[in-house]
Formats: sequence, C-alpha cells, structure tokens
Amino acid sequence: MSVEAPGVRIGIDIGGTFTDLLVFDPIAGQFHIGKTLTTADDPSRAVVEGLTETLDAAGLAPDVARGIVHGTTLVTNAIIERKGALTALLTTRGFRDAVEIGKEHRYDLYDIFLEMPRPLVPRRLRLEVDERILADGSVLQPVDRQQVLDIAKRLVAEGIEAVAVALIHAYRNADHEREIEALLAQHAPGLTVSISSSVVAEIREYERTSTTVANVYVRPVVAKYLAQLSEALGEMGFDGSLFIMQSSGGVCTVDTASRYPIRLIESGPAAGALAAAEYGRLTSLSNLLSFDMGGTTAKACIIDDGEPLTTSDFEVGRVYRFKKGSGLPIKATVIEMIEIGAGGGSIARIDTLGLLKVGPDSAGAAPGPACYGGGGEAPTVTDADLVLGYLDPGYFLGGRMRLDVEPAREAIRRDVAEPLGISVLDAAWGIHQVVNENMANAARIHAIERGKDPRAYPVFAFGGAGPVHAFRVAKILQSPRLIVPLGAGVTSTVGFLTAPLAFDFVRSHYGRLDDLDWNHITGLFNAMEQEGREILRSAGVGEREIRMQRSADLRYVGQGHEVSVQIPAGELGEHTVAATHAAFEDVYVRLYERVAPGNQVEALSWRVVATGPRPALPLERLAAAADLHGDAAQAIKGERAIYLPEGGAMATVPVYDRYALGPYATFEGPAVVEERESTLIVGRDARVSVDALLSVVIDTGSSAEDKETSR
Amino acid sequence: MTAQETRLDPISLEVMWNRLIAVVNEQATALMRTSFTTIVRESGDLSAGVFDLRGNMIAQAVTGTPGHINAMATCIHHFLAVYPADTLRPGDVLITNDPQKTSGHLHDFTVITPIFQGQRIAGFFGNTCHVLDIGGRGLGTDANSVFEEGLFVPITKLYDAGVANTELMKLIAANVRTPEPVLGDIHAQVAGNDVGGRRLLDFMAEFGLESLEPLADEIIERSERAMRAAIARLPDGVFEHVVYSDGYEEPVRLQARIVKRGDEMWVDWAGSSPESARGINVVLNYTHAYTTYALKCALAPEVPNNEGSFRPVHVDAPPGCILNAQHPAPVGARHIIGHFLPGAIFGALAAALPDRVMAEGAANIWINQVSGRNDDNGIWTYVWFSAGGTGARPNKDGISATAFPSGISGVPAEVIESLSPIVMHRREYRADSGGAGTFRGGLGQVMEISVRGDRPFSLSPLFDRTRFAAQGYAGGGAGALGSIETSAGETLDRKGVRHFPAGTRVTLRLPGGGGFGPAVQRDPAAVLDDVRNELVTREAARRDYGVIIDDRARKVDAEGTEAERRGRRDA
Repeated sequence: MSVEAPGVRIGIDIGGTFTDLLVFDPIAGQFHIGKTLTTADDPSRAVVEGLTETLDAAGLAPDVARGIVHGTTLVTNAIIERKGALTALLTTRGFRDAVEIGKEHRYDLYDIFLEMPRPLVPRRLRLEVDERILADGSVLQPVDRQQVLDIAKRLVAEGIEAVAVALIHAYRNADHEREIEALLAQHAPGLTVSISSSVVAEIREYERTSTTVANVYVRPVVAKYLAQLSEALGEMGFDGSLFIMQSSGGVCTVDTASRYPIRLIESGPAAGALAAAEYGRLTSLSNLLSFDMGGTTAKACIIDDGEPLTTSDFEVGRVYRFKKGSGLPIKATVIEMIEIGAGGGSIARIDTLGLLKVGPDSAGAAPGPACYGGGGEAPTVTDADLVLGYLDPGYFLGGRMRLDVEPAREAIRRDVAEPLGISVLDAAWGIHQVVNENMANAARIHAIERGKDPRAYPVFAFGGAGPVHAFRVAKILQSPRLIVPLGAGVTSTVGFLTAPLAFDFVRSHYGRLDDLDWNHITGLFNAMEQEGREILRSAGVGEREIRMQRSADLRYVGQGHEVSVQIPAGELGEHTVAATHAAFEDVYVRLYERVAPGNQVEALSWRVVATGPRPALPLERLAAAADLHGDAAQAIKGERAIYLPEGGAMATVPVYDRYALGPYATFEGPAVVEERESTLIVGRDARVSVDALLSVVIDTGSSAEDKETSR
Repeated sequence: MTAQETRLDPISLEVMWNRLIAVVNEQATALMRTSFTTIVRESGDLSAGVFDLRGNMIAQAVTGTPGHINAMATCIHHFLAVYPADTLRPGDVLITNDPQKTSGHLHDFTVITPIFQGQRIAGFFGNTCHVLDIGGRGLGTDANSVFEEGLFVPITKLYDAGVANTELMKLIAANVRTPEPVLGDIHAQVAGNDVGGRRLLDFMAEFGLESLEPLADEIIERSERAMRAAIARLPDGVFEHVVYSDGYEEPVRLQARIVKRGDEMWVDWAGSSPESARGINVVLNYTHAYTTYALKCALAPEVPNNEGSFRPVHVDAPPGCILNAQHPAPVGARHIIGHFLPGAIFGALAAALPDRVMAEGAANIWINQVSGRNDDNGIWTYVWFSAGGTGARPNKDGISATAFPSGISGVPAEVIESLSPIVMHRREYRADSGGAGTFRGGLGQVMEISVRGDRPFSLSPLFDRTRFAAQGYAGGGAGALGSIETSAGETLDRKGVRHFPAGTRVTLRLPGGGGFGPAVQRDPAAVLDDVRNELVTREAARRDYGVIIDDRARKVDAEGTEAERRGRRDA
C-alpha cells in the first residue's frame, strides 16, 4: 500500500451467521484464515475472538497489522429481518405517506395479486411538521419549532430510538432539516437522527425518504457495533487504520460508515463479487456468475470482462417473487447483484397452502439451526444438509463446532415430514431442493434481466454454505462448470484485501454549460481532491500513488436523467465548455445512438473519486500449504454416506481432504471435499480437477453442445 | 421455417425470448432516460415493442400501459398499408397520432422504425408516447369533434432515408403550446427505437439468427397455445356485467357480454351507451386493448403479451357506440371510459372465476392538467397523473393510491413543483376510503394544490367516480366516491376546464377501491392495525367492521366485538 515496509493486512467479513477473517502477511508471504460464529448481541466480540485465535496461530502480534478492511451484511440483514431500531419519520405536513405511496405504480402489469413493500416506519410513527421549502429553495413557511419540541417529547415517551427527517425540497435547501436536527439534538439527545439532505441529497421524495429511513433504522446498530469494534481492536493492541468496505466496491472511514451505514448495505457481498472478479482475472475467466451462500442469504452477481456490474438504484428486501419494484428503494452506488433470503440458517416450514417453503426468515447464529444445540428448534437448511450427510457433524468448522444430527432430524420430522406425510430423508431432500431452486431462479432472473445467458457463465461458488449447494444450483442453471476456490468459506475476505482505497465525493452546483462559473467549479474540484488526498495519505498511501478522477452529471436542458462525463484535471475555464460539450455528446450517442435537437446542456453535480493503488494479493500463495498431492487418491481421508437423489437413497462416497489436493489432481463424482470452513458436495456424472490456484473445477456434465448448436 | 421445424430447444427459446424482452426494455429505458417530459420519464405513459416483418408484435417492454401496448400491437398494419415494407429504406422513421389507428387520442404519437440487417428488414421497433401538448383545446373532455382537439398527423415519414422531415417538425412546433418538450420527446422516441434496433442486430448476430420469423413463430405459437389452454379451463357460457361511469353530461353505461366457447372468447360491448358529444369517446382499438388486458389478468397473467395471446380473443362494439367511436368524434379523454372496462370484464367473470378477479377500483387515473400565464405572458402547462385505490383481491387487501388498470406511475411532488409553479400542500392516504371487506379496498389519496404567483390558472381535471362508487365483491363494501373541492367552497360536479382566481386551493379526493368478502369476517387484528395507522377511523371500525377498539386505539375489545358481530350475523 505504501512505499514503506508493507504491514500485515487483515480482511474481516461479518455475516448474519459467521464472521470470516483473512490475515495476509506480506513478509512471510502467507495467508491465515479464521472463521467463527457471529455474536449478534455484540458482533465485535466474534471479531476479537477470531482475530486473536488466527493471529496467535500465525504467531503474529496485533500491532504488526497495518490495515484492517471490514465489511458486513448487518445492514442488509437488519432491514430484511426488520431488526433495526424503533424508528420514526418526520416529514413536511401533508407528506407522511410519500414513503408508502411510492410511485403509485404496479411493478407487474398483469399479476393482480402483487404485493407492495412495507415501509420500515409504520404510518402511526410518521409525524408531520408545519414547514415548507419551495422548489427554488425559498422558504414558504418556517419550521414550527414548538411542534418539533412536542414531537421530541412524544418520541422519547414512546421509546423511539431513531428518527429520519425528510422534508420536501431538502435536497435544494437543507436549512429546515438542519434546524430540526439541532432541536432534536438539544431536546432529545438520546435519539439518533439522519436528515435526508445529508444521506442522499437527490430530488424525488419517495426514494430519498426511503433511503434516509433505512439509513437511520440501522444506524444505532451499526454505530454501536463499529464503536465496540474500534475499541476492542485498540485493546488488542491494533493501532493501524480501520476501513469499512462500501457497497460501491471502495472503502471508507469508520466515522463515515457510522453516519451513513446505508452505503454499506451490500458491503460483504460486494467484497465477494470483487474476490470472484479477482480470481477471474488471475485465471483468465473474465466472465463468471459469482454465487455466494452464507448463513442467512445467498447472492448472485454477473462478472463481465472481469468487473462486477454496478448500479445506483438498489432495492432491498423484495417481497414478491424477487420482482423488481417489490423492494424498498435505496439510492446508493452498489455492485449489482441479486440477493435472497436463502442460507444455511433459512427456516423451512409448511405454508397455509400446504407447500414447503424455505426462508427468508433465518435462525441466524442464535438460536441457530436445531443441530447447533443453541436452542434453535426450527428446521433449517443446515439441518437438512446434515441429515443428508452433506455435512460431517464431527468436522464442522474443522471440528471446532459439534453438530447434533438428532435435533435436526426431530425438527424436520415435526415441522416438515409429518405435515407432508413423508420420510425425514425425503423431507430433508425437499428442503435442500427448494432452497436450490430458489437460488437458481434468482440467479437466472439476475442474468436474464441483463440479457445474459446463465448457461454461458461458469459458476464461481463460495460462502460457508455455497459449496454444499453449488453443484445442484449449477446443474439447475445448466452452467458448464463450477469453480470452488480454496478457502471458499471465507472468500469474501479476499475481496476486502484487493479493494483499493477509494473515496467518493460529490458537490451539487447547477448551471448551463455555457453559463458556469468555472473558477467556482475548479474550486469545488480542488476542495474535494484535497479532502481525498488527506484521507488517503492518512491511510498510508504515497502521494504518487494517489489517483483522482473527475466527472460531472450532465443532461440536455429539460431532461430528467443525467449521463456521467469525465472532466479533465487542472484549471477549468471557458476552454472547458466546448470539450465538455463534445465529451457529453460522445457519451450520449454511445448510449442513445443520436444527439437531441436542443443544444443546451446543463450540469447538476460534480464528482471526484480519489483512489489509492489496487493492492497486490498473491493468491497463488494460498496454495502454499504442505502435503499437496497431484494424485487425488492420496487425498482421500475417508468415506461417508451422503444422499444421492438419482438413487433416492444414501450412498457411500469418498471424502477428500481439501488441503491435500494439489494442482492437477483429478477425480470423479460423487464425492465430498472437506475443508475447515466449507464442504463441497459433488454429485454423479461430474469430472473434478484442481487448478494452479488450488481451485476445484467441476465439469457439471451439462452439455455445452446443445448451446453451441443454438447459437 | 415453421414452428415444428425449428431447432429451438426450450431453453434456447427461453433465453432468446428473454433476451428479446431485454432488448425492448433497453429501448424503453433509453426512451425514458432521454425524454423531456415527466409524462414519459416519471409516469411511463408509453409502450415499446418489437415486431417481425409481418407486423406481429413479438415482445413488449415491461414498462408501459395497456392502452398503449395493446393498441400499438395492432397499429403496424396501418403503417404498412401506407408504406409497404418493400418501399422502406434504411433511415426511414414513420409517425402518426391518428386516434383510430393507434391509441385513441391525438396526444399519443406512435413512432415506427424499420431495422435493417444489411438491405433486408429484420423487424420493426415501435413505441407510443403521450406528448405534453398537441395544440387545440388542450388535453380535456370539452371538444365537440377531434378537429378541436389539436394537430392531426396522418401516417407520415418523420425521417426519409435518414433525412429529417423538417417541414413536419416546423408544423408541429407551430401548433403546440410547448414545442421544445414535444419535439424533444419525438427525438427520444426515435432514439429509443435506434437503441432497440442496435441491440436487436447484436442479438441476432450473437445467436446467428438470419431472421426473426422462426423465433417469432415459436413465441407467438406458444403464447397462443397457452392463452387457449387458459381459456379452455373456463366453463363454456355467457357472462355479462354492466358498470357505470359519471360520463360528461349523463352517466355512461358499459355493458360487457362475454361468450366463451372451447378455447376462444368473444366480447361484445353492444348495449353500451352511444357516442358522447364530448371527448370521452373510445376508439375500437383502445376498447380492444383494455378488454384483452383484463382477460389476460384474470385468465393467464403469466402468458407473455404478444400477437399470439390476442388471437383467441375477439372484441367488438357496434359503430357509433361510445366504445367504437367513429371519426370525427372527440376522443381526448378516452382513457376515462377505457379504464372502466376491466371492471366490467372482471364483474362478468366473477361468477366463473371468483378467486381470479379483483373488486372494482378507482378505475381511471386522474389526469390533472394545470395551465396559466408566465410573467412574460407565455403559456405554461403541466400534466400529471394520479391514482385512487385498487379493489381488494380475494385473499389480499387492495393497493392504496396505485393505478389499475393503467400501468402508469405518479410524479413526485418535488418534480411537479420543480417544473411548474404548482405547489402541492398535501398528498396523503384518504382514511375510510377503502371499501370495507374481509379484505379491504385500497385507499384513495387526497391532493391539495395551489399555484404560485398572482395570476389566475385553469384546471382540466379528467376525473370520474363521483357518482358511481367502486363496488365490492362477494359481500364487500363499496369504496368512497371521488370529489374535487375548492377553497371557495365549491365542489366540481362535472368534467370540463375550470378557471380559478389566484390563491385558490383545489383539493382532489381520489376514490377508493371496493372490498372483497363480508367486512364482519375481517380479522379484528387487521382492523386494529388500520385504526392505529389512521387508515380506518374508530367509528368506521365499529360501523363497517363491527370491531370495537378501545379509546386509545391500542387494542380490540374482543367481547364487545364478538357481541357486535354476532348481532349482525343474526340480523
């Protein structure tokens, strides 16, 4: 990262169920992996426990760590599972329903049974204040301060923890939101408050309010957690920089993350996609379908030409058949992926129609699946996987956690097998199948919505539960190949260590291109670049490694959507106009084929991305374990019975030791491949080989010829 | 190659089909992102689709509204009658707003672009958009003939071999109140087709397709088969239902008669009111659009919407009927009546398919056009759409403030206020407006507006359901009626442009949807939730649902409720 001596770098991913760690020691050239159960009441505890254990095992002291990059799915899970703070919303009088009325639009034209997402704040906690700002930023009516004080009292009395303030036209003039924020800070200091003009200063009250509400809904949870984490790491002796992964693929400071946790909404999954892209780059597989299944959710992401797709319109918690429009809108830059409530902890049950349903509710780490023995009684996907023999009760997390098969059987018998009148084994297979279908469908929709053929994409599978399910999911998708990296249980953490430090800055300044004060714009850019430079320097990035990228959001006068156009470095002035206009038209024609008749171009926002260098991560060193065998037979450590659907019964198959499988080892399915943090299940008719990065590559037996003829 | 001969395996077909839908979605997205009006970019009052060489619609964008989509599906034949395919050249673009041949009023421009693969036409991209203004009286109900409703552009070349028809554009610019956004959106329509065309050619190259027809045959044939299978599942018979709209001077009767035999359906609207003297008449193309739309919702929502899904359904209305208006009948506000048609269809099908239909809802979207003078005496005008509540479903509440059957969206208040001097003082759910039922109807909304400055303004409100409430199904109650009131204490009692002095506040109360099932069977916990969230008042909870909620609206009085409900069941 800097020209000085490289320090140890650590990636930490907190999922709903597991906390994963990756420690990279550049001097020894070694990686050390850790995985521990997430401690939901105080997630920093699991980090400290896991980190201490991993560093001890590696013989490293915490103070040698230079930087920690951290990501979490806490934000997403808190929203999907509705486990955020008790939140209220303050709006301009007359607009408390904007967050629910939404677009007045049915996202599916023909399905009259569709469902709309429920806002995070119920109507009775959406309170109105007399005040009004107009579209030009002028004040029609000042804030009724007494009303705000009365509301503050009521919020405290009702036990409200968090408050979103989203006033009409606050993106244009933030004064009223700031005034209310100050009043609340003074008279109800215990409340966590987010104002829309700070979270996302963009026009459109529905999306802005929804994003602001989501931000503050998770803020107490995230802020508390990050404070605990910083403190705990400090106590361990860590005195390097702690950075937080953002959904956009860059990282930010703890302070920013605590105030704007919504920008972390997909940070764990984003790291997974980045890791998949990194593997793709190293193995020249530039197109992949990244498939990440953890304890709580599964994510799929298309990687094209080595880069994950990104979007600024995100939805969280889709409530109706994964359909676009059925989730809560979030305005934030995110790596584009589909995420569904399907993980090892997903709970299986029989619904009112007598059908087997799995997820999206999850048993999490506590109480956890029935087999954890932590008090969980509901049958989960992990319970089913255990009953099917896919997990070894004695080798879960390398034997550090004991699984009990009897409670798993009992839970499945009681909640699934008996109501359906089938055997426990059939019920377990049913659960396994339903969750696989759910995930494959979601992945297929994600690919197809982007016009991609899912059958053309090798599946790159990871996450604690990913390798257990990936073979069947790849079969359903008819993917030609399945790739499972070494350390699949903690692959996301690789992404943390390959993400460059990147900070995004934006300033709004409206004007027609031919009528702008370019000195002012230059000043805006300089200020943003200065800020970016300081943060990067404080993180140890050398001056010469810092890169600045300027851009502007431009459109024709009268339009409502902008295109992003790059702006040159240095002083801007009249000479900038023609070049920028031409650059705008270039981008415009590339997107929309022809220029518009009107000639006037206007600018709305000015952006800078300040980045450090992409850190080098020599993944081939992951392969530096001992005792590797090119002959797969040497890596067989035993055998066990697993359920094979083709025979409809348990069958005994070999169990391979992941750590003994060397490059170019080959074998045939069915088989089990075990490593500490995950288990790979390979079905029949599959050829397995190991590549130079020690990834297991499986030819799924899906014939590629059918596709060739159709093309 | 016929469908039987094609080598498309089901999965290749699915992938290609979805790719085609992705292509038209990109077309629609480009159109919306380059649009100069909120009508298109926020509300999505448009349709976009791809047609094969024979003029069959193969795929449509997910975005859009049935009145455009299904009307556009049939329009291409009219274009090809004027400009046969073999006379078209690369760079040609065709346009019209002929109400009879497209989507029923002059405000919709349809733009068709042939896409050439070398020297051969691979297919056509088409889209229909609602323009901000088309001259004449402005968007409204008041005209006595189509000639008063604005500029009529017959099927014409907008571009001829890549050369813009600047004479036509000058003519359009001179005839409309807002030339820049109108011409800007026509540009967006052309650009959208270009984007779709480019992606189509990429797609055909990638999959090695020499023509679209084999794929089109497969898509259409499978869709038709699925639609026929869905129809066949319904018992043979005759299903009838009548609904009423406020109309202009007098109520309008809409009578659906569905004859179902085997795997086909015939819908006849004979018995409906005759043409109105004012602009609420509907052309047959638009009647067809909302009839087939409603049938598909009830019978086969999962079947893709294309030429094939229309084939087994036959729609007719006698010439001169309000649902088969003849030129030059005025048609400006045809959507009002058109949006009532699905209610009549659902009502007819309710006997045979009680679990596949929704109760009556607010029906038409309210189109609000506000106009006035600028400080420089120029005219400003702004149009936005808003929705009341949908009817309840057999197993779910109705959806509040959400359009049905229209597929359009509302516009954020912030956007409305940024682009016009309109100030929106209130936009909220209307308590007690959802019809009571085991499942409650969707709530309407209240919008209160004024206009900044000291000049008078006018409002052309295209509203309805002020006399005939949305009826509940299976014992459910009716939704609340709509109304428009002014701060001067006046209630608007009929359609037509109204002028208001500066400072007037106008309150629009949009109607609610009907309930489904008896209200006394609604879960008291759901009623309590509605009361706590002020969607239903305590009084209405008792009156309509027989549920007694304690004074602080915290809990249900279980004994009191049981007694109250028992009394009603016995009565």
